[in-house]
Amino acid sequence: MNFTRQFLALLRMSLAGITRRPAAVLTIIIGVTCAVAVLVSMLAMGSGARRQVLAGVHEDRVVVNSHGASGIMSSIPREEADTVRSLPGIKKGNDGKPLVEFQSIVPIEARRRVTGTRIFFPLVGMTGGPLSEADPELHLTAGRAFRPGLHELIASRPCLRQFTGFAIGDKRSIGGVDWTIVGHIDQGDSQQCVVLADAEILMSTFKSNTYTQATATLRSPADYEVLRNALESNPTLHLEVRHEREAREEGIKQLNALLNFAAYFVGSIMAIGATLGAVNSLYSIVDSRRREIATLRAIGFGSASVAAAILCESIVLALPGALLGVLLARALFDRMAVSPFGFSFLLDVPPGLAVIGVLWALAMGLIGGLLPALRAARVPVTTALRAT
Amino acid sequence: MKYLPLVWSGLWRKPGRTILVFLQVSVAFALFGVLQGLKTGVAHAVAAARADLLIVHSRLSSIAQPLPYGLLEQIRTVPGVKVAIPVELSFGTWQKPDQGVGVVSVSPEEGWPRAFTFTIAPEYLAAFRKSRTAMLVRDLVVQKYGWKVGDHIPLQMALAQENGSYDWAFDVVGTFTDSDVGGGRYIVIVSYPYFDEARLQKKGTVNHFNIAVTDAKLATQVAEAIDARFANSSHETKTESLREMAQSSMQAIGDFDFLIRAVVGAVLVALLFATTTMMVHSIHERTPELAVVKTLGFTDRAVFLLILAEALSVFLAGAVCGLVLATLTLPFAARFVLGLSMPGVVVAMGLALGALVAVIGAAIPAALAARLRVATALAGHRAA
Repeated sequence: MNFTRQFLALLRMSLAGITRRPAAVLTIIIGVTCAVAVLVSMLAMGSGARRQVLAGVHEDRVVVNSHGASGIMSSIPREEADTVRSLPGIKKGNDGKPLVEFQSIVPIEARRRVTGTRIFFPLVGMTGGPLSEADPELHLTAGRAFRPGLHELIASRPCLRQFTGFAIGDKRSIGGVDWTIVGHIDQGDSQQCVVLADAEILMSTFKSNTYTQATATLRSPADYEVLRNALESNPTLHLEVRHEREAREEGIKQLNALLNFAAYFVGSIMAIGATLGAVNSLYSIVDSRRREIATLRAIGFGSASVAAAILCESIVLALPGALLGVLLARALFDRMAVSPFGFSFLLDVPPGLAVIGVLWALAMGLIGGLLPALRAARVPVTTALRAT
Repeated sequence: MKYLPLVWSGLWRKPGRTILVFLQVSVAFALFGVLQGLKTGVAHAVAAARADLLIVHSRLSSIAQPLPYGLLEQIRTVPGVKVAIPVELSFGTWQKPDQGVGVVSVSPEEGWPRAFTFTIAPEYLAAFRKSRTAMLVRDLVVQKYGWKVGDHIPLQMALAQENGSYDWAFDVVGTFTDSDVGGGRYIVIVSYPYFDEARLQKKGTVNHFNIAVTDAKLATQVAEAIDARFANSSHETKTESLREMAQSSMQAIGDFDFLIRAVVGAVLVALLFATTTMMVHSIHERTPELAVVKTLGFTDRAVFLLILAEALSVFLAGAVCGLVLATLTLPFAARFVLGLSMPGVVVAMGLALGALVAVIGAAIPAALAARLRVATALAGHRAA
């Protein structure tokens, strides 16, 4: 008999015997299920946050910040803003003006609907009007857009759901002035509350003379270098330009690193625990089959094929755990809204994570099966046959 | 006590299995320790945040809205205010755009550190007051960038000087440590009078005022008195204690609570199942021995307790080992999350949980062992 035929016959025997050893098999499956479910659901946080931040990124859009600063630390004086408008490489809109939009971002606080917790959200003043060519993915779901020069706000839908005081017609006191909510906008799946207003009126309310950042649309993605060279060679500008994707990824880098570290840290510890449990269960399976294995060896089965069959059984037993774990994570957590550190997003369990979960489980099965397989291969035929 | 050798020999009947269970328990409790340490560590950090330290910022927005420096005199006349110090916050980078530091400007008046959570050696304080371009550097910044006393450090700031240049430079005169877990990690302190004089824009404004009150019990009253003084003025203020601020920022982590509970739950369920099956298997194998033990006169109860004791000793040893491991990993995890600690309550909770899982997991196998019929067991029939 050759190795493959022996191996297949042994594997069939092992799998047929599974129902006779429900406890040991269940231990392996439950252990692997828990480990995979925890890993996948924790990774779903990082992937959900990333997906939300990168939604609607355009390859031909760039973000301009002041040198070395990002987020609300950045500031662009008005004089420099005028120079930015005239830089080469920027696409012209239908009206012939360059598609550059300056934003003035002010953090505002709101209270959570249920808990009353204080959360900060960005109030973004826009120079280009709310529904300009520069932002094709924003569209109104209710009400109307704000009018330039008036204290009017439009809020994204998550604001309405998570916080109080964002219904159309509601007034909010910001900067000592009453602002009226006049419309709601849709931003796809984003859970982050964003409120938009006219940049000039916002800046005059806050007595500020600088924009926070600028977003520009390029004529083509290849014009990035043209714009960057022009920006860097101009001594009056203290600004830097980045691709929109890059700028957004940098904003979430720290949170993502933290979430992924936590996921793999907890996931690894649970995997070690599950692997130890699997080793123990497989040892008990091998022990209870000592006579059977010895008999097989006596009638000519090779020790290599015995070991391979046990190893394979271990991997096969880990697989249902992997699938169950992924399904559990998906059923419980996919598209669940969370807001760790005040940043709200939907958990996301994409197929890629399912693959990671299955690979994780296969590794547990493989490592967990090694020692028991070796023990099975080394069963001393004569003593095992004589044992009761 | 006389049963100890019996428990001991029961444990080492199959050393491999016992060690595996022990390791599994250790791993589970190491995870438990880290997660719970995170949770209670955060709670401790909030409780430890100083309640006698108030921050006065603009009611408009506590982050980006400046207050005029001139409010200082009025704040100082509020009863209960011991020290009030203006603070400006800005941001600079050193050499590369990704090497940032937070620049905290304070006016170096007599006793200013009392209104902060910083610890600064007296000789550094004296040096800081002497020079206008002096800079104190947090210990973490020293570790990261290797600056030392006497260095002349150029910083690129988003803020222009009067001559239009964005390049600033400060002289390192000392180092300090910060006990506030919510504060910035990489921060330096410079002199506000110099900074304000040298900058082109936003002159005469501050980000907030730091206030130390004479008595922590008066903190709420003082905060209300300050806000009342500026109510309906063009610069309404909002005054909060450092503890209140810590509380609200820690609440933001709230969603993690659910996650921690879910993970700990999953770990314990897996562990419980693993032990039960292991013990059942073990009892199954040891049927003849247990029968002999019972023949020798051990009661059902004694056998039950014997099995329970075995499980308890492995679990408690594993839990202790796991919690020790968790304590050892905390300094590493603290790089990512501030305020980790392993308070006694977590240790006690871990041990209690370990005992609970051991008792529940071993109850079925122990009952099986206790109900063993001696005659049938000796005849070679195994416990079901």
